[in-house]
Amino acid sequence: MTNHWNDIQHADVILCIGSNPAENHPISFKYVEKAMDNGAKLISVDPRYTRTSSKSDIYAQLRPGTDIAFIGGMINYVLQNDLIQKDYVVDYTNASFLIDDGFDFNDGIFSGYNAETFTYAKDSWKYKTDKDGMALRDKTLQDPRCVYQLMKKHYSRYTPALVCEITGTAIQDYMAVIRTFCSTGSPDKVATIMYAMGTTQHTYGTQNVRIYAMLQLLLGNIGMAGGGINALRGEANVQGSTDYAFLYHILPGYLKVPDFNHVDYATFLDQTTPKSSDPNSANWWSNTPKYMTSLLKAFWGDAATEKNDFCYDYLAKKSGNYSFIHLMERLRAGGFEGLFCMGTNPVVGGPDASSIADGLGKLKWMVAADLWETETSIFWKRPGVDPKTIDTEVFLLPAASSVEKMGSISNSGRWAQWRYKAVNPPGHAESDAFIVDQMFKRIKALYEKGGVFPEPIVNLSWDYGNGHEPDIEMVAKECNGTFLRDVEIKGKRYKKGEQVPSFALLQDDGSTKSGNWLYCGSYTEEGNMMQRRGLEDPTGLEMYHNWAWCWPVNRRILYNRASVDLNGKPLNPKKVVIAWNAVTRKWEGDVPDGGWAPMSEDGTKNPFIMLPEGYGRLFSAGLNDGPMPEHYEPMESPVANMMSGQQTNPAVSVLGKLCNSEKFPYVGTTYRVSEHWQAGAMTRNLPWLVELVPDMFVELSEQLAEWKGLKNGDMVTISTERGSIEARALITSRIKPLRVSGRMVEQVGLPWHFGYAGLAKGGSANVLTMAVGCANSTIPEYKAFLCNIEKGGDVA
Amino acid sequence: MGISRRNFLKGSGLAAGTMALTGKPVQASVDSPELRTKGLQVSTTVCPYCAVGCGMLVHTKNGKIVNIEGDPEHPINRGALCSKGSALFQVANNERRLTKVQYRAPGSDKWEEKSWDWTMDRIAKLMKDSRDKNFVKSEKRDGKDYVVNRNEGMAFLGSAALDNEECYLWSKFARAMGVSYLEHQARI
Amino acid sequence: MSSRTDFSKDKAFLIDMTKCTGCRGCQVACKQWNQLEAEKTEFFTGEGYQNPPAMSEFTFTRIKFRDYEKNGQNEFAFYKEMCMHCDEPACASVCPVGAFLKTPEGPVIYRADRCIGCRFCMIACPFGVPKYEWSKGLPLVRKCTGCYSRVKEGLKPACATTCPTAITYGPRDEMIKEAENRLAKHPDKYIHKVYGKEEAGGTSVIYLTNLPFDELGFKPVTMRPLPGYTWQALRLVPAAFLTVGGGLSAISWINHRKDRLKKEREEAAAAEGKNSACCAPTEPASEDKED
Repeated sequence: MTNHWNDIQHADVILCIGSNPAENHPISFKYVEKAMDNGAKLISVDPRYTRTSSKSDIYAQLRPGTDIAFIGGMINYVLQNDLIQKDYVVDYTNASFLIDDGFDFNDGIFSGYNAETFTYAKDSWKYKTDKDGMALRDKTLQDPRCVYQLMKKHYSRYTPALVCEITGTAIQDYMAVIRTFCSTGSPDKVATIMYAMGTTQHTYGTQNVRIYAMLQLLLGNIGMAGGGINALRGEANVQGSTDYAFLYHILPGYLKVPDFNHVDYATFLDQTTPKSSDPNSANWWSNTPKYMTSLLKAFWGDAATEKNDFCYDYLAKKSGNYSFIHLMERLRAGGFEGLFCMGTNPVVGGPDASSIADGLGKLKWMVAADLWETETSIFWKRPGVDPKTIDTEVFLLPAASSVEKMGSISNSGRWAQWRYKAVNPPGHAESDAFIVDQMFKRIKALYEKGGVFPEPIVNLSWDYGNGHEPDIEMVAKECNGTFLRDVEIKGKRYKKGEQVPSFALLQDDGSTKSGNWLYCGSYTEEGNMMQRRGLEDPTGLEMYHNWAWCWPVNRRILYNRASVDLNGKPLNPKKVVIAWNAVTRKWEGDVPDGGWAPMSEDGTKNPFIMLPEGYGRLFSAGLNDGPMPEHYEPMESPVANMMSGQQTNPAVSVLGKLCNSEKFPYVGTTYRVSEHWQAGAMTRNLPWLVELVPDMFVELSEQLAEWKGLKNGDMVTISTERGSIEARALITSRIKPLRVSGRMVEQVGLPWHFGYAGLAKGGSANVLTMAVGCANSTIPEYKAFLCNIEKGGDVA
Repeated sequence: MGISRRNFLKGSGLAAGTMALTGKPVQASVDSPELRTKGLQVSTTVCPYCAVGCGMLVHTKNGKIVNIEGDPEHPINRGALCSKGSALFQVANNERRLTKVQYRAPGSDKWEEKSWDWTMDRIAKLMKDSRDKNFVKSEKRDGKDYVVNRNEGMAFLGSAALDNEECYLWSKFARAMGVSYLEHQARI
Repeated sequence: MSSRTDFSKDKAFLIDMTKCTGCRGCQVACKQWNQLEAEKTEFFTGEGYQNPPAMSEFTFTRIKFRDYEKNGQNEFAFYKEMCMHCDEPACASVCPVGAFLKTPEGPVIYRADRCIGCRFCMIACPFGVPKYEWSKGLPLVRKCTGCYSRVKEGLKPACATTCPTAITYGPRDEMIKEAENRLAKHPDKYIHKVYGKEEAGGTSVIYLTNLPFDELGFKPVTMRPLPGYTWQALRLVPAAFLTVGGGLSAISWINHRKDRLKKEREEAAAAEGKNSACCAPTEPASEDKED
């Protein structure tokens, strides 16, 4: 989230698209309704009429996978009717930047495309520059090569009539959404977008998010109280686990994992540190060497020296994409001997789930740590399988639950909050920290006696006390960072062993360590900031700077320097996020996005400090599939793309078995219900929740039910090329067929919580979904696929 | 941003508070005339389900959790919880929870109970064997050798259910092991 | 029984169904606080995601779902069922042994140690709230207590604490005033009625809705206090119970209950269908569980 939960109350318009907060983030609705009490309008855009829709002022139905068409039409409306917040767009976005003459777009394809490799060469997706490398701009926004004009042309094709033909939205609903949302282009009106996996789980999921951000930039809604684009993260610490890089492509703090051709540390730093020739660009990532060196020092301690590149060689170098879908392909091909599953259940949560269960049988060993038996840990005795045929050695480690251990977790608003241990884990269960500690110590002992490339293991810095499990406070201190020798920075002395107060003080010379630069400031000499419980609210905007701690540097609203004019005066004086005090020459309010003077003064920096140019990007070369989002159909779709001749995302190669719409005529989508959570182990084992939603079900329309001769509660079989599952039919007018491309398209909705383990069992929706991912994130396209549905429960 | 000592004490004081005995056992009964959490030790936690980050109070008695409810002081939820958060008690008190290490031998159709010691040694040995056998020191690309130092023998799937500090330890351990196939729920 | 006439400072629930998201935090928080067992359910028992099928000895509050179309618009609506905590409760007036008590704080509480299981309260309650313990050999009655033990200590009831949006809890006069303010401020949003202000003579649970009350499943009730009607029921109670010396008779009456109950239980099960509230208990929730 650019903003945070309490801040939603400050919105004038709330757009829930690709999210269903009333069901999946129920307590967020406290703030949605608080905003509504103050006159805000709630818009719910969803294929189904959900519990969120039931509270909305405007509901608009859209076909799964048509977000870019939907929002593209809104951008068109904003540009055609000149509803942008002009000063904001000129001063804070790259709308005025001129684009290279080689850039082009033709029938769904951007310049630089290679159809053989499904990739783009991005040479032409760049700014025109002067001889000093400074981007050329036309602040009148009239130049035909400026981003504003290119956008205007690109989205002029997204007319309301065509958009509704694609999305299936009733045009009067669509126009109501547009008029309401696009009324927030004035400084005193602000809209927020709440999105979740309905947005991201598509082959163009990243572009879905981008187009939301673009609309918000055009209306001047980023950085404002009540604005932003807010990802509603679904798991308690998925923000933190991402910050700490439980992912193949990043290291803690979003530092990059080295590639094979980053042959030494200097090359790595040169290739991964962004550069800018604009003196007004903060280009915050230019600090990469400081953060990376401090991370290597946290990893390998005294062994990491300037002479040996701080042990840079110890890091594995990647030579490709190892993300979840690819990992599972390799698993199925027998590419791994072993697999660790820490509190995760891919046999329910992964796409084409049956094939994942098959793949597990190719392992020599598998370790699962969990609170319960999960579908993954009992894959060897799953229905229809003879355990004798599976040679995998399986270990199931009993883990501690959240109230049986201590540590911090980071919520969607980036607040890192401390959890205390209330009781011991049951029986012999142990915390995950205990498990990794034991694992490391035993492996280290083995490697001390020899083995392949033992150095990264035997030299790993691992000093967390002598207790039964690691001292979590010591770990938290290491994550924050510590001075490793006495230093003097800008005239101030810091002693060896002192906690680093802020990431601005991290060094690239080995004098500091920090396990995650983003968390520098979370555990300082003042103590464990994540434990704080101060409820002071001096801004009146419920930012609660003394409650817990928030990354970065306790800043509660990101990009907040875009909430003021060039003189530092708040654009919306009623909801002041920050304001420049000309007397003290300091910012007041939230922690500013950099403390530099306002844009009208010398020595200032551009407000979007994480980007090399410092301006919000309406046009971006950062993604693999185009500098501006373009509508494509989902990989499996019942209709031809009406926007261009390019049916699917050209930067996604077609893998696996696809369904054709004759055999599989219905659009399927997956979702969650309020009463269950994720792959279900944490809820399907709780009797109180099982009472509320005991069985797998599928939601379908009254028309489809009539056609199939179904009564409410009848057992049905849903099938795709990947597999079939049984479910009870929930027939409801909340699901309606959509009029798309001149004909009616039926859709069915499936919760994905169920599986064959636990107290409440049922078919896994992900048996049906396909392992095809987003061109940028490789997140699977769970939210739009083709399927068939038949009466009766005989799973093929 | 100044912080007062008081703000720390409020949180930790809750956790460190000693149990005040009421004299007679508090019954978990609907008709209990006494507040069943009165005088019990209470600590704060944050809900483990979605990422709203709701605060909770956990009441314990004789080392057992007897009540979990929303923390009325928490600035996000102000005491509120959804059905899942309200059910957290049944995660802590649940017959289905794993309490012992389970081991399934190749080809076997059942779990066996094992000690942590045996299990950890066994896993460590398997991990080392798999790493040593499948370690890719260098790789040829376009006729040139590149050092990659990758452990291709195993994959780690981690978890958004772990605490930050645990994530850090796993992340660090994985990198020391040279594991490149490292993923978790954020991707799916 | 209370002889009070001023209930304005009683604690009351203002439940604004236009603000309820149907998350059912209240339903589980009630089970958690009261350590009530889960009921065995199958699919859904009503519209939407409704479960369990009815309030019962294990379910003191429940969200009823409505899921239908009206004038081409979807209605996905929720209604929280619970004890209304009447100002002048029929259950208390009809109870021969004074097991029900309207407390000065507002909640109508039930004292199991006095109950003889006669079920007059179940007949008398216009809202069908008290439920019988069909799962027990010697059933008593159970119902929402308004979390009296919490309220006495200055806490809000479990459901009111846990509700993110719809429930406000406070003095009855203030809740009514707040309800009327909302009606005045948003006349288009609500059905113009503060339910519970006068229903059954006034209750400590007050509702606002945007849909007609009967459409949500509210039962029609009189505006008069119910004890005025239900005193007649008292004539059906064995006179001996009404005397101080009725103890022995009561014991005898209780001893013969088992036979009568066996038959009635079967009848009740048949009447309520296979999704009966008489449930198969699932997991023992706590060692501190009452039985």
